[in-house]
Amino acid sequence: MRVLVVEDDANLNRQIKEALTDAGYAVDVAFDGEEGHFLGDTEPYDAVVLDIGLPQMDGLSVLEEWRRAGKTMPVLLLTARDRWSDKVQGIDAGADDYVAKPFHMEEILARIRALVRRAAGHASNEITAGSVRLDVKAGKVTVDGQSVKLTSHELRLLSYLMHHKGEVVSRTELTEHLYDQDFDRDSNTIEVFVGRLRKKLPEECIQTVRGLGYQILED
Amino acid sequence: MKIDLKRDWQAGRLKLRGLAPTLRDSIAARLFWLSAGWLIVALVATAFLLTELYSHALDTSLSQTLDFYSETLISHILDTGDPASNDIFIPDPRFSRSGSGWYWTIADDTGQVVNLSPSLTGSVLPAITTPFNAQKYRTAALADEFGVRIRMVEREVTMKGTTYHIVVTGSLDEIFRLVADFRGQTLTVLGAVAVMLAIMSFIVARIALRPIGMLRKSIEQVREGESSTVTGAFPPELAPLADEVNELLRSNAQIIERARNQVGNLAHGLKTPLAVLRNEAAGNKTRLGEVVVTETEKMTALVYGYLDRARIAARTAVVGRKADPTIVMLRLARVMEKLNPERTVAFKRPDASLPWFRGEEADLEEMAGNLLDNACKWAKANVAISMLAERNEAATMLLIRIEDDGPGLSPDEAGKVLQRGVRLDEKTPGSGLGLDIVKELVDVYGGTLHLKRSQLGGLLAELRLPSARLGRG
Repeated sequence: MRVLVVEDDANLNRQIKEALTDAGYAVDVAFDGEEGHFLGDTEPYDAVVLDIGLPQMDGLSVLEEWRRAGKTMPVLLLTARDRWSDKVQGIDAGADDYVAKPFHMEEILARIRALVRRAAGHASNEITAGSVRLDVKAGKVTVDGQSVKLTSHELRLLSYLMHHKGEVVSRTELTEHLYDQDFDRDSNTIEVFVGRLRKKLPEECIQTVRGLGYQILED
Repeated sequence: MKIDLKRDWQAGRLKLRGLAPTLRDSIAARLFWLSAGWLIVALVATAFLLTELYSHALDTSLSQTLDFYSETLISHILDTGDPASNDIFIPDPRFSRSGSGWYWTIADDTGQVVNLSPSLTGSVLPAITTPFNAQKYRTAALADEFGVRIRMVEREVTMKGTTYHIVVTGSLDEIFRLVADFRGQTLTVLGAVAVMLAIMSFIVARIALRPIGMLRKSIEQVREGESSTVTGAFPPELAPLADEVNELLRSNAQIIERARNQVGNLAHGLKTPLAVLRNEAAGNKTRLGEVVVTETEKMTALVYGYLDRARIAARTAVVGRKADPTIVMLRLARVMEKLNPERTVAFKRPDASLPWFRGEEADLEEMAGNLLDNACKWAKANVAISMLAERNEAATMLLIRIEDDGPGLSPDEAGKVLQRGVRLDEKTPGSGLGLDIVKELVDVYGGTLHLKRSQLGGLLAELRLPSARLGRG
């Protein structure tokens, strides 16, 4: 899962990025509205954390621009202005949720998790595929109730495929959603991680669709 | 327009002592006393003057009559040649009646009375002490032995070498009686005129002051939230005042808007650093980290508490605003459904006659939004909103009901959460300040908030707020 954080306060930006990275997301950051707008417009994100008060271009304008351009990724607004009129304005501009400052970092994580899950059409924090069960909240994977240890890259890959269960996901899409923009993108690494995952999980869990990509089948 | 007659009257009476109205007196009283007051004074003076003139005229006429009688006596003396003759008489029956006040005497130059009127038999006239004038004539107003006030005319004449003093008197009491009658009639007539004038002045004052009452009514409507500006056709004296009031309202609204913006800016400025501090310290298990966490929590609570208070203070001065609750609730329901896709927010659309909320739209959003947020937070699946007008003896209130199918609250718990800053479950996300701001706003607007058990099984929040009349302002 790849998340964009647009926040002008350098410290807060770093904290959110660290928390999200620790939770297994690939994170890109922007410090002003224009940069944030450009990234959201050109890169495929699974969720965006967007501050309202931004230099160059305010958060609501950025959001409206994205929605006008047909961008549908879930957006979590960060706002110091927590009056209902501000919230209504934010939601009407196309936000999916909001968090008022100051907040607990767990709250951001919980909201992002819920937004990503909701965007993928899952109702609960647990996604299952056959005997494989993914606890999105805890970042834990079990097979037949047995805990399986995964590295963060493996977890990200599995999580993305589980969220898009039943869909064929191309290598390019995986690369775009699993790594931040600074990562040296080499589609071979995806194959390496898929190979490692297959060793830790039941063989049939991740299917290769020749020429197209990978797929986790619906139950 | 209502005029307090008693108060105005007293103000006017006080005025008579000072004889000029001061700025503190009621305009109605000023108008009344400056018009009717002086007219009444003039009428009283007229009554007094008329009586005096009448009295003077009667006295003059009496003196002339007495002069004429005096001359009649002289001619009789000349005719008869004997001042003591019994043929000397004045053909007026009053000179025959004892104690009538009408007397005459003829005395020689020694003062010896040689002849007198039948009315004076047995008594003596008082002596005139004033000296004779050049025409050997003197007059005085004295009282006879019976106490009757009389006008006396004395003439010194010399006939055939002998000097006589001829005194003729007439009753002044008769004149006084006439004057008293005249005074009574005059006062009655002029009193009636005065009462008419007073009533006219009162009506004139009322009519003249009616636009002030209209202006007051119009300003009252602004305060009541029924209108946002002072409107109406005012006379040229009052129109600038109405314009000034409107200017004042506008500048007031601008000041409040500015204050709110500054509060918002301050909030943004403080909250970001607080968020940074809190997050940075959250992962730090040292003593410093713990202290920073505790203190930032306190600062956050203070920032929220004071910002809310500042916003409420800025808001109390706002007048003349109203909001359509249907639009606000539809908007909130839409937002809540987007934020909580797993919940159904049922909004029962009220009929078109539902009154509007008298106050700021943003405040209504704040109150209903927080209640709705709580409902969605606790609901299992369903939240319902309904609104209706509730008429009690004093006013029509707007009743907003927000209910959910969550666990609800016992009456005991409901009483507790309505106290400031009390939270029942510290683990449920949210600052816990949501209900506080609702309670404070409800107080500011003079509404009420009740928490009950809903038929859905959970909590029912009943929010009663002042309503504004429809289709005005």
